[in-house]
Amino acid sequence: MEAIAPIKEVSDLIRDAGGDAFKLCFQCGLCTVSCPWNCVRSFSPHQMISQAKFGLADIEDEAWWLCSTCNMCISRCPRGVSITDIMRSVRAIMMEYQYNMAQPSLRSAMGSLRGNGNPWLEDREKRSAWKQDLQLEDFHQDMDLLYFPCCVPAYDPKLRSVARASAAILQAAGVRFGILGSKENCCGESVRKAGNDELFESLVKSNISAFEAEGVREVIVSSPHCYTTFKEDYPGFGAQIKVFHMTQYLADLIDRGRLKFRKELRKKVVYHDPCYLGRHNGIYDEPRKILGSIPGLEVMDEIDSRENSLCCGGGGGRIWMETKKGERFSDMLVDQAISLGADILVTACPYCLLNFMDSVVTADKGDVLEVKDISIIVQSAL
Amino acid sequence: MLNSDTLNQAPVPTMRKVGAVLVAGAGVSGIQAALDVANSGFKVYLVDKEPAIGGRMSQLDKTFPTNDCSMCILSPKFIECATNPNISVLTESEIDRIDGEAGTFEVTLTHKPRYVNPEKCTGCRTCSEYCPVQVLDPYNENLGTVKVIHLPFPQAVPAVSTIDPSHCLFLSRQACQICVPVCRNKAIDFHHQQEKSKIDVGSVILSPGYEAFAPGRQAQYRYGAFRNIVTSLEFERLLSASGPNRGVLRRPSDGKRPQKMAWIQCVGSRDTTAGHKYCSAVCCMYAIKQVILSKEQIPGLDAVILHNDIRAYGKGFERYYERARNTPGVRFIWSKASILRENPETGEVTIRHRVNGFGIKDEAFDLVVLSVGLTSPDSNRQLADRLHVETNSHGFCETQPFSPIETSRPGVYVCGVFRAPMDIPDSVTMASGAASFASELLSDQRGTLVTETSYPPERNVGGEPPRVGVFVCDCGTNIVKVVDVANVVTYARGLSGVVHAQEETFSCSIDSITRMVATIKEKGLNRVVVAACTPRTHEPVFQDALRQAGMNPHLIEMTNIREHCSWVHTGEREAATAKTRDLVRMAVSKARLLDPLQRLSYAVTGAALVIGGGISGMVSALALARQGIRVHLVEKEEWLGGLGRRIRSSIEGGNVRAYVRKLIREVYANLLIMVYTESDLIEVSGYVGNFSSRIRAGKRGAVKTISHGVTIVATGAEELKPDAYLFGKDRRVATLLELEEEMEDHPDNLRDCSTFVMIQCVGSRDTERPYCSRICCTHAIKNALTLKKINPYMEIYILYRDMRTYGFREDYYREAAEKGVIFIRYDADDKPDVEAVEENGRSFLRVTVTEPVLGRRLMMDADRLALGVATVPSAGNSSLSQLLKAPLNEDSFFMEAHMKLRPVDFPTDGFFMAGLAHGPKFVDESIAQARAAASRAMTILAKKEIMAGGTICSVDGKKCTGCGVCQEICAFNAIEVDAMAGVAIVQKALCKGCGLCVASCRSGALDILGFSEEQTLGMIEAIMEGAH
Repeated sequence: MEAIAPIKEVSDLIRDAGGDAFKLCFQCGLCTVSCPWNCVRSFSPHQMISQAKFGLADIEDEAWWLCSTCNMCISRCPRGVSITDIMRSVRAIMMEYQYNMAQPSLRSAMGSLRGNGNPWLEDREKRSAWKQDLQLEDFHQDMDLLYFPCCVPAYDPKLRSVARASAAILQAAGVRFGILGSKENCCGESVRKAGNDELFESLVKSNISAFEAEGVREVIVSSPHCYTTFKEDYPGFGAQIKVFHMTQYLADLIDRGRLKFRKELRKKVVYHDPCYLGRHNGIYDEPRKILGSIPGLEVMDEIDSRENSLCCGGGGGRIWMETKKGERFSDMLVDQAISLGADILVTACPYCLLNFMDSVVTADKGDVLEVKDISIIVQSAL
Repeated sequence: MLNSDTLNQAPVPTMRKVGAVLVAGAGVSGIQAALDVANSGFKVYLVDKEPAIGGRMSQLDKTFPTNDCSMCILSPKFIECATNPNISVLTESEIDRIDGEAGTFEVTLTHKPRYVNPEKCTGCRTCSEYCPVQVLDPYNENLGTVKVIHLPFPQAVPAVSTIDPSHCLFLSRQACQICVPVCRNKAIDFHHQQEKSKIDVGSVILSPGYEAFAPGRQAQYRYGAFRNIVTSLEFERLLSASGPNRGVLRRPSDGKRPQKMAWIQCVGSRDTTAGHKYCSAVCCMYAIKQVILSKEQIPGLDAVILHNDIRAYGKGFERYYERARNTPGVRFIWSKASILRENPETGEVTIRHRVNGFGIKDEAFDLVVLSVGLTSPDSNRQLADRLHVETNSHGFCETQPFSPIETSRPGVYVCGVFRAPMDIPDSVTMASGAASFASELLSDQRGTLVTETSYPPERNVGGEPPRVGVFVCDCGTNIVKVVDVANVVTYARGLSGVVHAQEETFSCSIDSITRMVATIKEKGLNRVVVAACTPRTHEPVFQDALRQAGMNPHLIEMTNIREHCSWVHTGEREAATAKTRDLVRMAVSKARLLDPLQRLSYAVTGAALVIGGGISGMVSALALARQGIRVHLVEKEEWLGGLGRRIRSSIEGGNVRAYVRKLIREVYANLLIMVYTESDLIEVSGYVGNFSSRIRAGKRGAVKTISHGVTIVATGAEELKPDAYLFGKDRRVATLLELEEEMEDHPDNLRDCSTFVMIQCVGSRDTERPYCSRICCTHAIKNALTLKKINPYMEIYILYRDMRTYGFREDYYREAAEKGVIFIRYDADDKPDVEAVEENGRSFLRVTVTEPVLGRRLMMDADRLALGVATVPSAGNSSLSQLLKAPLNEDSFFMEAHMKLRPVDFPTDGFFMAGLAHGPKFVDESIAQARAAASRAMTILAKKEIMAGGTICSVDGKKCTGCGVCQEICAFNAIEVDAMAGVAIVQKALCKGCGLCVASCRSGALDILGFSEEQTLGMIEAIMEGAH
């Protein structure tokens, strides 16, 4: 076998791009055997890390784009290696050297985000069109909370109901909240994971100026992705906001008796733990408390739940990328929900919702399984 | 006298010190410390919060690497503790606080209400039979049930039943109380209250042990969710003959015998997400043990161990690992595991693991064992806080470099796992070490608080016809419910020589013993037969009774009609009773032939010979000299210090050079230590307590004779100079120790080095030396960290087979990785290549190795190369071993008496070993072992006289042909053919009465007193004759 020398320049490049976590890896293989990709194809993150360490990474390999940043590996890694940071760093290098390494659909989403603040080339001004006839105020300083819906409920016709339901629930609970509409843009979380640090920075700074201009101090979000980036990344850019996920806030309202359920919902539901709510932020009990409080509802866990839950495939920017049929985690989760006898697959993340809805349609199981956000369930029981 | 040079010792107040020691925690470490301290002349309080002593080791099935039954090697130590008049065993007790100073502590204890009076309970277990409530059995890790009132485990000491107060119907709800009247000795009393007591001691030894990691905290293991996933401690109970399945391996869900099993390593260890970053040091080895034992039970078993590194670093470990590797059906796979799912019908657990570096495979197993780590529970930390003892960042006891046994509080010492995760030999070694500190601190109070029982003078029974008394025990109901004891008593009365026979409910109870003594005197009995339980636990009790009655203690014969009869023949009353009559008849026949056996006493020479003046030799010498013992320290080189002179630092940052210099100063300053440098040992003769040796001393080689009571072998080891990787041929290739010296003495040489490669396992773990040299992985990392200080941009590669940075050394492995040191694993079958290359005007060493994850050959052009070479036995070992008649093991290191429980003793009494002579180890470990050797030596030197004799070998000179077979066979060097006399002579001080020589004697010249041929053949005839 021909011997090759490690290429220090490449490993230094990856290190400087933020991937120096590879130093700590002691090649135990736990990331690879834990990664959901190995349920549908072969994917070896530990090998990729070794390649990064020796500077022998094939940067053009499409495998670097597979990671959905579900954190299954990180939650188990005994050395605390930030594996997703390594993936991100290589993507960032690829973005810089050869922008067209990213998939066309991702590039299109990024272009739209840059120009319109949303990934679908929709008008910036239409960002609050979801409210329609709801009596919602624009945020002003005296209000308690800003409701930040996420681009998906804001624009996607299938999921506008999530934003509407969330707003309705907050109103019913007497929360004084407002929205920013076109003053805000996408939180940027997905493009940071896709390696586009420059675009991410501009989206963040623009949001932070909007928050400061309007005096936003506390934000409530529908998406765990928005939640995570507001909590972890935004402070580094100077943001001084406190963020709640809808499930945290609603669970608290229920505890304080400010949310009462008057209607029954006699359905069997399976609750799916979104990666960015569960593994990333440890929020497992609040959604279950909410569902458990709804009269008549039979709530089941997935076969692998909580810390072990399977990713829907939407994180890491993959929501903007094509996934081959037969390799879609959301297909597997929908099948599982059906086999558990569920009427509804409930979750608390817009990316999960998009993926599950897509899977139900492709499997033609629309008359067997409904897919709903937890806010919809809550609203229907008020 | 307290020596102010001893680290961390505070000045002694003017109050007189107390000659007593408290040992907190009665696992194997606590037990060993207690025994050494008691045998060195001090009173000991052995305290444990559990109802019985034994700790974790009592729960193990077998121990690695000898596969000894854990309880078999441990329970004799229980008995020693129980019967030693100077040890008070205080169970169900905890320490509240310790006030005072070293030498004069006042300890406040809380004693939980036990509700069972230990003075009256005989452990007969009748109460358990009647108790109506079952609870999960904590001794069996909740895998089986036990009654609320129960004996903690069959061999428990004290053999006193304990009550689970939260489930006891009376204690929780005022209902029941069945056990009270049922107990024939009225031992149960529900009025017991919690009590406090205060004890005065001079020193405290902390050995509170560990708790196994609870894997339920980590969802990835599915523990509790999937039925066929167990922890390693649960698995020990499943394997154990005293476990819930009586030793038949079955899996929990359906009792099926597993055909395919997986062990998952590093559960709760080396794991940031589990909250424990350190290595638990024993799990690799215990998993290998469990695989070997499981394969013995189920030969067709498919066994898989999923591991990160395999840390088989200790003496004999690598061979044990090899044995497992070579067992068909056993696979070691370098991969951590993901537990995927459970099959609801078959109960099989599917696991995903890596294959061949970068592939993956899913496999289904019948049973999965999680090799859980050793944690320091909150209760340990709370105890340390209450006692003002500091703990480290991992929650274990904090100690200083070169002082692994002293805690932050003077007079308080630590041993066992509370110090750091460690195996049994290291725990036992450290326990003896702790004992030596206590002994040294309290040296001037030695013997002040010990009790010597006094007995009436022995009656001479010579010439009397046998007058046998037979005592047949009911053992509560244990015996009498199966055997018709009254019938046996009547029968016994009719046997020849028997003048008294009686039934006793509990022969071992205090009032029974008092009656026995009175009966012996009244009836003028001169032989006693006790038909009861096992002599293993109870013979000393009855022998003591005989002495109280003025009889020679060897005039008793016990026969076991419980373990050998009633317990194994339940439901067969007639046959069992007939068998009991046979057993009693045999015992009486022997009793008639018993002779009184005398012990001689001889004085102990209060001096020690220490062979080897390195770190270990000097530490032992100082420990003994400070207790008033004269020490003769013999060193073959011109200077003291041994290999310690070359080591610069320890990885924890201790300055080894300064430490060695300090030791040398202290040795020369101590007037009781005679130092002989450039000296050799010519001859050692004599026996324990009475040695006479000759040395050739100094340059002029004058011959000196030394009298000493004990010998400590501390002759060290050497660094291999290998013939590999251009060593010795290229100046750029050095050993790790040479590199260490160079970095300290000439750091500038290395500043311009841009690429450095280290190759591990050079000369170790191969066919020539199938052992691990233990220190080299850590040594490489220590050197790498120093190199990074010299030049932070240096590329450092360490090529290893397993990284064996066990215990807290794992922290440094992590630190090296954080600093950018690159680790590459290589296979024994695919070793790296090294070539000296000149290319483009540059000269370097090209190292090529196959990287297993990439599956490619990597090439590093190194400026320098360092080799992790083997630590090899000292060249002088084989001639020394002949001189001392002390065996070497397969790898030519000195062989200890027992690998697990006597790691410091030679098989021959009076000889001890310390340091590298025993095997490769770190400086701290050598220091601990050197202190242990001093403690073990002290248990002999502290005695004014040694008793020899009893049930030992005797030689019939007329039959002996002087063939010498017995001398060859004896494991204790206790018999030798005297050249002048031409016959074998028994060294009474050393003979254990094991009988090996008797069986080997072709002339029938040998016999064991107390187990003579006449007596034994007589018993066989007694069985043959006679009606039932």
